[in-house]
Amino acid sequence: MDKLASLLHTSPAIAWMVAKLVIVFGGVFSLAALWTWVERRGAAMIQDRIGPNRAALFGKIKIIGLAQPLADGIKFFFKEDLVPNDANKGLFWLAPFLALVPALMGFAVIPFGRSFVSGGHEYHMALLDPGNGMGLLYPLAIGGMAVYGVLVAAWSSNNKWAILGGMRSSATMVSYEIGMSLAVVTIFMTAGGYDPSEVIKAQGHLPWAWNIVRQPLGFIVFFTCMFAETNRLPFDFAEGESEIVAGFNTEYGSMKFSLLALSEYCHLMTASALIATLYFGGWQVPFMQNPPVMLSVASFLVKMLFFAWVFVWIRWTLPRFRYDQLMHLGWKAMLPMSMVNLVFHAWRMSQGH
Amino acid sequence: MGVVVKKVELSWLDRTYVWPVMKGMGITLRHFFRQLFTPTAKRYTIQYPDMKKEMPEGYRGLHELKRFEDGAIKCVACFMCQEACPARCISIEAEEFSDLNITQGFEEKRPAKFSIDMLRCIYCGMCEEACPKDAIWLRKDYEVAAYDRLAMQYGKWDLMNTYAKADGKENISEDPTPSVPRRTIAL
Ligand code: SF4
Ligand code: SF4
Repeated sequence: MDKLASLLHTSPAIAWMVAKLVIVFGGVFSLAALWTWVERRGAAMIQDRIGPNRAALFGKIKIIGLAQPLADGIKFFFKEDLVPNDANKGLFWLAPFLALVPALMGFAVIPFGRSFVSGGHEYHMALLDPGNGMGLLYPLAIGGMAVYGVLVAAWSSNNKWAILGGMRSSATMVSYEIGMSLAVVTIFMTAGGYDPSEVIKAQGHLPWAWNIVRQPLGFIVFFTCMFAETNRLPFDFAEGESEIVAGFNTEYGSMKFSLLALSEYCHLMTASALIATLYFGGWQVPFMQNPPVMLSVASFLVKMLFFAWVFVWIRWTLPRFRYDQLMHLGWKAMLPMSMVNLVFHAWRMSQGH
Repeated sequence: MGVVVKKVELSWLDRTYVWPVMKGMGITLRHFFRQLFTPTAKRYTIQYPDMKKEMPEGYRGLHELKRFEDGAIKCVACFMCQEACPARCISIEAEEFSDLNITQGFEEKRPAKFSIDMLRCIYCGMCEEACPKDAIWLRKDYEVAAYDRLAMQYGKWDLMNTYAKADGKENISEDPTPSVPRRTIAL
């Protein structure tokens, strides 16, 4: 890293920052693109079909259809970019970015590997170094911003189906945010801090000391809320093709549509990273005190991708909820459960000290 | 009179919702792995251009005009199929041919032209039913497509060669017995 930095006439800190930027955002972005393929392939397999397996590079190299996202991307780029006549043009343009940027930004504080020291510098495997004062409050706040992407997309396209979808999904996001935040607060409480590195350190390397074992109730609440937050089935009220055409992105086409779709997958990646960090020990490798850096990154990736897969898996298992069931679940089940979780752990901590 | 809908009583375990979800996920995962480890040939999906569906017995596909060993057409141009065809897509022109007609005044008939408009054909199989000579068969080829309308007009030789490749026979484009100009000798 030092060598590279001197080659580029910058300080190691800046070189590392740039490298991290490229790795994290490039990585998340390409994983999200890849996940569109995983989703379709997984869905097909679950339904005893085969799925997209024919897209080939140069018409020849057909690696189980992995070129599909590429082909989709090219197709989306070359499609006609329509803007409805009566749409609010500015916001219509802005909405895909409003959806995509927060979905990517949430990843910034999540440590994806163990910090290491080299050449007298300490390198942290997270875009924002620990101790930045925001910690895990930041992805939660950014997650709240995601509502704007959906709502602005819905409102600006001047279409009643779109606005219905946007309203429904923003109501979902808002009502599930509370349960989710309370579940996370419990973790902050037991970990004694809201910095992700502290949360991970508090969980240690033993799988039975991870938060999933210590707070199973909190995990269920958080996990469910993540589905609502990312707008995925069984809570994908922004869409709902049987009821409101295509929902908030009815009027979108070409690259703008693909950005909206990608933002959902970026959101999914961030959500799985959050789940892995909060409940499954982040980059901790089971039964290993100080894992090699690469191993810790691999461990984090495995956990994150597993949860990303669970998102896909659940999507093709469960049907969509009815809207009142969703509100019922959010306010009358998730919120009390996370309250109970919070109070229980508060009580236990008060007994402990 | 109303209908009494019986409500299913859910056990407390089912009411939690978590357990049934996990059961459902088990089912989907089972399907996933079953599909993942099934070789391509055994899957339900037939990947069309690479794999083709074996059509069942009695399938009515593209027609074939049958021929004898020596390549002579079996059809005797009796017009039964043309009459039977509900889509009116067969058109036949008959001709006489025989070596025997010189010596014995014995004549035989065969189609000089035999065409089926595949765009109009509805593959009902009536022609096959009507034929007294078993000369026209609807067999299992279902890939009847072309880039223009004219190519869908199948002539006599097209119809005789439709399954030549599948059966390992030669393509033919000539009758073994030359046709006799009508009434020139027999008179
Ligand atoms: S299959 Fe039916 S429609 Fe087609 S040529 Fe024979 S009789 Fe006519
Ligand atoms: S019914 Fe048979 S023999 Fe008669 S014209 Fe048709 S194909 Fe030829």
